[in-house]
Amino acid sequence: MSDTVQAVPDAKAANTLVPVTVLTGFLGAGKTTLLNHILTAEHGRKYAVVVNEFGELGVDNDLVVDADEEVFEMNNGCICCTVRGDLIRILGSLMKRRAKFDGIIVETTGLADPAPVAQTFFVDEDVRGKTRLDAVVTVVDAYNVLQTLEESPEAVNQIAFADVIILNKVDLVDEAGLEAIEKRIRSINAVCRLHRAKRGDVPLSDVLDQGGFDLQRALEHAPNFLEDTSHSHEADVTSMSFEVEEPLDAAKFQAWIGAVLQEQGADILRAKGILNYAGENQRFAFQAVHMMADGGFIGPWKKDEPHVSRLVFIGRNLNRPQLRRGFESCRAK
Amino acid sequence: MNDTLPPSLLERRGAQRQLEGQITGCAIARDSQQVAFATGEGDVMVAARADWGRSDAWDVQTVHDGAVLSIAPDAAPTGFLTGGDDNSLRRIAADGSVSELAKGRRWIEHITTWANDKGGVIAFASGKQVELRDAQGRDTLKVLEHPSTVSGIVFDAKGKRIAASHYNGASMWFVQAKVDTPRQLEWKGSHIGIAIHPAGEALVTSMQESELHGWRLSDGHNMRMSGYPTKVQSMAFTRNGKWLVTSGADTIVMWPFFGGGPMGKPPAEAGGIPGVMCTRVACHPVHDIVAAGFADGAVLMVDTNAQRLLPVSMAGEGAVTALAFSPDGCALAFGTEDGRAAVIDLSAR
Repeated sequence: MSDTVQAVPDAKAANTLVPVTVLTGFLGAGKTTLLNHILTAEHGRKYAVVVNEFGELGVDNDLVVDADEEVFEMNNGCICCTVRGDLIRILGSLMKRRAKFDGIIVETTGLADPAPVAQTFFVDEDVRGKTRLDAVVTVVDAYNVLQTLEESPEAVNQIAFADVIILNKVDLVDEAGLEAIEKRIRSINAVCRLHRAKRGDVPLSDVLDQGGFDLQRALEHAPNFLEDTSHSHEADVTSMSFEVEEPLDAAKFQAWIGAVLQEQGADILRAKGILNYAGENQRFAFQAVHMMADGGFIGPWKKDEPHVSRLVFIGRNLNRPQLRRGFESCRAK
Repeated sequence: MNDTLPPSLLERRGAQRQLEGQITGCAIARDSQQVAFATGEGDVMVAARADWGRSDAWDVQTVHDGAVLSIAPDAAPTGFLTGGDDNSLRRIAADGSVSELAKGRRWIEHITTWANDKGGVIAFASGKQVELRDAQGRDTLKVLEHPSTVSGIVFDAKGKRIAASHYNGASMWFVQAKVDTPRQLEWKGSHIGIAIHPAGEALVTSMQESELHGWRLSDGHNMRMSGYPTKVQSMAFTRNGKWLVTSGADTIVMWPFFGGGPMGKPPAEAGGIPGVMCTRVACHPVHDIVAAGFADGAVLMVDTNAQRLLPVSMAGEGAVTALAFSPDGCALAFGTEDGRAAVIDLSAR
C-alpha cells in the first residue's frame, strides 16, 4: 500500500476520467457561497455535488448527494491510511450515470482533515479507474484566518493540502494585512495557487480544471517560493522543495521515496514532483498523500524548458539536508 | 475468436438488446416468468418468458428519476422491487404498473426479499438503516439501525434472520424478535458486501482490501480468505453450501466450505479468461453449475463437477455488471456496463 509507486492510466484514458474537485475550508469561510457561485455560473456544464450533512446553506443544484463523511482505516487500523469509504460508494454509484455530468464537487465539513478524501483517490481501483482528483480547493476567511491557524491544526492541514486557496472576504482586511496572511499561507504551502475573493466571486478557471498536481504550473504561480524558507518552528507545517539538474534513476528514486514515505509518512502531508528520468523523453509526475503515492508520465517537456527534476514536501519535522541528500542520491550514474 | 468455434449459447438460445446507459442489475421474478434489467438512467426493461427469444418485444419504461441502484424479485410470486438514487423504493407489477412503496432521505442501495408459501418479507437498506416490511410492502415491521452505512443485506435461507454488512463487521438480526439486539460480528475495516451459507453455517463479507472475511456462526470463529488482485464485487454460495463462488480474479474462485474448509484450504479455480477479471458470479438453483461474467463482457458457465466450460457469450465492450439465474433454473440473464442486456433460455426443448 505505502511504498509502491503505481502507474496512473495513460494520458488518453486520463481525459475520460471525471474530474473531482474537493472543497474544504473552515465554517464560515464561505465554502457554500463559492459552491453556489460555481453551480450557478454560465459554464454549460453539469456537476454532481456531494455535501456533508452540516452544510451551512442550501445548495442549488439538480444532483446533490448527502454524505455522512464516514472514514475507516485501511489495513486493519493503520491511521495513515484513513479513507472515506462513503465516497468510494457514492462515486461508484454516480459513475453509473456518468453521461449526465461533467464533474463532481465534494464539499467537506469545516473541521474535516482533507487527508482521507485525498487518500480515497489513491486506494480504490474503481475510483481511480473512473475519476481523477482535479484539485483540493480550500476557502480561507481572510478576516479570521491568522487566529484560526493558531488555534486549529485542522485549519493548517486544510491549507497544507490545498492545490488552490481562495482567500475570501478580502474586503474586510487591508492590503498590509492581506500580504501578511499570504506570507503565512505560503510558509505552510509554497506551491498552492492563491486567489483573492470577496464573496466567493472568483473566475471558475481559478477553481475548476486545475489539472491536479501539475507542479510546473504551481511553480509558475509562485516563482520565488524556493527561497522562502524563513519560518522555522519545527513542529509547524512547512514546504520544502528540491531540485536535481541531472537525470534521475527511476528505480533509485522509487526505492528512496518509498522509504521516506514509509518512515515519515505521518509527518508528510503531501509530496509532489516533476521528474526527469534518465532515458525517458517524457516528464514523470509524482504525488503522495501521507504514505500513499502514485505517478505517471505526463507528456514531453516543453521547448526550451530545462529538464530539471523538482520535488516538494509539505509537512512537519522535515529534515532539509537529509531529504536533499536523499534526492540527490537518486541521480543516474 | 476464430471461425471454428461453435456458436455461443447466446446465439443459439438467447436474445439481447442494447439499452442506453449501464445495466446496474437484473432480477428474475419468483415464478420465473419475467426477467427485469435496471439501468443507470432510471429505466427498467422487462422480458416476459414468451418473448425471451425476441428482444424487440421487451418492454422498457422509466421507473426512477436517476440511476436504479438496486433491483430484486418481489416477495410475491410476480413483479419486482427497485431502489434508486432518487431515494425511492418502487414496485413494478407483472402488468408493468409502477407504484411507490417508500421515499426516504437516502439512496436505496440494497433490496432483498424472502418468501415461502405462507408469506414473505421485504428488506431494503437506505443509509445506516435497514427497513423490514411485510410482503405487501405497506406495513413497516421494523427499522434496524447500524453504526455506519449498510453495504449489503441478506436473509438466511429460512427468512428468520437478516444480516447487514457495514464498517468494522456485520450485524445479524432476528426478523421476528420482540426486542431488537443484533449479534455483532466484528472485524476492523470496510466491509462492502455480504453472503450467508444456505444452511446458516457461516456469514461472509467482502472487504475493501480485496479479501473476504467470514465468521463461523456456531462459535464466531474468524475466517480469512485472501489473495485477490481486485475487490470481490460478487459472491454466491452453491445451492448445497459446499462452495462459495466469487469474482475478483481472472478465474472463478471457489472456496471449499466442507472438510474443515475454508480455513487452511486453498480455493479451487473453476476456469476463467487469462488476464480478464471476473466481475459477476451466480449459482444455478438446481444443478452444480456456476455462471460467471467478466470485465470484457464475456459470460461462461462451468459444470463444477466435470470442470467443463461452456461459453455463453463472447466478449463485448463493457464489463458484466449483472448476472442471475431464474429460480427454476431455466433462464440466465446478464447485463453489461455498456448497456447490453441478454436472456438465455436454458430449458429442455
